[in-house]
Amino acid sequence: MVSTILFSAFAVLAVAGAAGLVLLRHPMNGAMSFIMTLIALAGLFALLSAKLIFAIQLIVYAGAIMSLILFIIMFLNIGEKDLPDESNRWFYFGGGAVVIAPLAIFLLKVVNKLPSCEATIVGDSFGSVKGVGMVLFTEWLLPFEIVSILLLVALVGAVVLAGKREGKL
Amino acid sequence: MIANYLSLSVILFCFGLLGVISRRNVFTVFMSIELMLNAANLAFVALSRLHENMDGHVLALMVMAVAAAEAALALAVVILLHKHKGNLDTNVFSLLRG
Repeated sequence: MVSTILFSAFAVLAVAGAAGLVLLRHPMNGAMSFIMTLIALAGLFALLSAKLIFAIQLIVYAGAIMSLILFIIMFLNIGEKDLPDESNRWFYFGGGAVVIAPLAIFLLKVVNKLPSCEATIVGDSFGSVKGVGMVLFTEWLLPFEIVSILLLVALVGAVVLAGKREGKL
Repeated sequence: MIANYLSLSVILFCFGLLGVISRRNVFTVFMSIELMLNAANLAFVALSRLHENMDGHVLALMVMAVAAAEAALALAVVILLHKHKGNLDTNVFSLLRG
């Protein structure tokens, strides 16, 4: 089963990247391993026959958003002395794991009770640009317009915040 | 098969939650939030595949747009805070405390 092997490989890569993001100390290393997670997730979207989401995950997430984050990390020029003191982080990891473990176990049990289907590649129109576009511009037209207003507000907000001169915060 | 994808989504979400809870670097916390959004996206697309219905794909697109807007604003705020506090520690950012 090729799809099972591919799923296993992408899942291992995604979990390894997520663990690297949480465990590595410097944000640059964390961002690099997070990019690995994002690319593995793009592969998983392709396995789920979501072709448009696969492309957009690579272009927008791994491309635009992560390059923005990396740009800001490099712009601030973070060295060892700028990093917060996290010498007791293993203590916090332990505490956080104890808090999260019941939630994770509960969710995993719920998820494994769901009906299943074979993750084969389905028809041409499922998940293609045309198929998703038809759904987006007929049933989801109002949410689409609201998201465009949200992006406009974010644009204006970023300009206002970044353009502020020295002085008050 | 779909249960595997959803289990992976749960695991990634829990990693993101762990990062938000236990890390103090503001960039790592921010990227952990992005990781949780991605886990939600994976769940949307997997359930969309289960029902062979494309609404989940549209929702994943919306989540990506919201994540992009959030990234733009959050990074502007991080730059401002770094300029004023000279620090990246989330414990130092307590301007809203009464």
